[in-house]
Amino acid sequence: MQTSRRALLKASAATLAGAGLGGRIARAEEPPIRIGVIYDLSGPFAAAGSVACAHGAQIAIDLVNEKGGVAGKYKVEPINADSQSKVDAAINEVERLLGQENVDIVLGVYASAAAVPLAAKVDEHKKILWITTAISTAVFKDRNLRYVFRGQIHSDQYGEAAASFIAENAKAKLGVDPKDVKLAIIHEDGPYGVGVAEATERFSKEKTVQVIMKEGYSAAAPDLSSLVTKLKRARPDIISQVGYNPDITLFLRQAREAGLRFKMLIGNGAGYSQLDKLRATFGKDIDNFCNIDPVPAQLLKAETLAPGLGDLVKIMVDRYRAKTNAVDVPPHVSMGFNQTWVLLNNVLPVAKQKYGGFDAEAVRKAALEVDIAPGGTIQGYGVKFYPPGNQLAGQNERSTPVVMQFAGEHITVVWPSNIKTQDPVLPLPSSSIYATG
Amino acid sequence: MDIYLLEAVINGLLLGGVLALLALGLNLIFGVIDVVWIAYADLVMCGMYAVYWLHVAGWPLWAASLAAIAGVAVLGVLVHVLIIAPVLRAPPINQLLATGGLLFFLQSFTTLLFGTDFRNIGVRLPIIEMGDIFISFARLLAFGFALVGAVALYVFLKRTYLGVAIRAISQDREIMGLMGVDQRRIYLVTSLIGGALAGLGGCLLVLQYDVHPFLGNTFGPLIFMICVLGGLGNMIGGFVASFIISQIISIGGYYYSTEWAYVLAFTLFIVLMFIRPRGILAR
Repeated sequence: MQTSRRALLKASAATLAGAGLGGRIARAEEPPIRIGVIYDLSGPFAAAGSVACAHGAQIAIDLVNEKGGVAGKYKVEPINADSQSKVDAAINEVERLLGQENVDIVLGVYASAAAVPLAAKVDEHKKILWITTAISTAVFKDRNLRYVFRGQIHSDQYGEAAASFIAENAKAKLGVDPKDVKLAIIHEDGPYGVGVAEATERFSKEKTVQVIMKEGYSAAAPDLSSLVTKLKRARPDIISQVGYNPDITLFLRQAREAGLRFKMLIGNGAGYSQLDKLRATFGKDIDNFCNIDPVPAQLLKAETLAPGLGDLVKIMVDRYRAKTNAVDVPPHVSMGFNQTWVLLNNVLPVAKQKYGGFDAEAVRKAALEVDIAPGGTIQGYGVKFYPPGNQLAGQNERSTPVVMQFAGEHITVVWPSNIKTQDPVLPLPSSSIYATG
Repeated sequence: MDIYLLEAVINGLLLGGVLALLALGLNLIFGVIDVVWIAYADLVMCGMYAVYWLHVAGWPLWAASLAAIAGVAVLGVLVHVLIIAPVLRAPPINQLLATGGLLFFLQSFTTLLFGTDFRNIGVRLPIIEMGDIFISFARLLAFGFALVGAVALYVFLKRTYLGVAIRAISQDREIMGLMGVDQRRIYLVTSLIGGALAGLGGCLLVLQYDVHPFLGNTFGPLIFMICVLGGLGNMIGGFVASFIISQIISIGGYYYSTEWAYVLAFTLFIVLMFIRPRGILAR
């Protein structure tokens, strides 16, 4: 897949030029809505899903603009920013968007490490931060944010999904009770990794699954061989890894070289959701690995979604493939698209019509009124934000993850059981280089 | 002995080999030219890209590697001529800023050229199994080349006229200039060798790591720390420091955690800097 920063910036420039050209016509009617769009377009997070999110968000903006804009008449003008996979760059860019570009809404944010400080900063400025991707529960928990919203799932839900998946399949697939399943959790040491790992440990213990090891590491570590050696010594049945890249590829390569064996590996989004890239590196070695993330919209049956959403998904997928030549369309495209689509179609029209504009206060009030039933978004879940005063104020209370399994060049859904498209393959078949026995 | 501890020790040795090879070139350049190439690890990254693209284009790995070494050696000369030479007599902070600028340039330029994707050369070397211990041949190869590289460089510096001139310049550049040694030529040769070592590092790392524009950030700070610990410009010191740090990372990671291993390594670095500020093997 070719998703270069150059290509994205070129697309952004074209959009801006288009918006500028069209803007002269639009200004005669309505001024455009300027929205800051911030993703990691360079640095290691770019290829770990951030650029895919940016593409998803841009496709949603393009589609809305092609139909005349928000509510059919207010064009959206994205002001793109690159947070460079660095927290300080993210903060500086958001300060620029708020202070110099004077936007009322900032959309995007891939990394939880950036989302945590940005949420506080934007909320302090009483501007809207619309998080499409970063998942750390710590972004919202007990912070009583008023201007920050996230339709995306949060890290606690990854842990809950992993523990439930293991507990529900232990007896049938592994032939043992959940209490006899040995789980090792390894994670990058930022808010994303720590949040998911803690939740996985907590929910696993609730389900009586044995957590025999939990260890963090830097995503930029040049060597993970000692971690692999410890895993060999601990002999876990299942490994849960929370990582970006290059830590995931480094771990899998060193695990293979060191002869580490296990019955299943469960990834937790980010680098594990980039199937094209993983397959380019590992080929069939990663077949049957599991991955937790919000579902890529194209995996859902159109009839389970609200009318019209199936066609919308098809357009999103077609446009993404046209832009990138990708075979697999990662969940991050759906995340970027879905959250942006909700903002542009379910929040901003209400802000204008009911609260008189697109300023932060109007958008905040409109966001709190969003009430989308399950099946009402392309990723299947509904949207309703926890109100002020709630422990998770601003977080979507209806978002849900799925457990997916890699099946060749494609992905199947194996949990929850009510929407699964395939029975999970567990343990790894003996043909896997990582399989035990 | 605990079989897994033994595996950790072996892993530490193999990691040390890679770090030693990278530290060798940086130390050589600092020792002779007296300028720290902050962007040294990014030259390694350029070498990795060269091997990757040439191999993808159908070149056999050995030919791609030789071409990459030659290419990065030339790049090393260009870096000296275009960036280092103009600031050779400038204050050290200016030199640091110049090579720091080169770092950002190389990262941005490779991003523009190749995108942000992680690229894997797809070459799988065999794995050596000894009971429960598995040794990666790619890492063993890097270790072997690091040793050979170090010995070859040592012999070159000790036994050849050019090597003696390089050592003499590194000891007193003013006097050697007065005695008729062509400093500029020595600097160019040193940059050529330093670049070639970075190219060799790239050839070996591309067998173990995905290449991406920011790979230098993974190794750069660690190599710099190793060079300072061994004594900037002291090649034997850098070599020894590589293995000290790699064993702390590996055994510390085995007994405690990967995160704590780095804390231990950096704590040791700080303590040793207080005790021996000019490096562990400084006279």
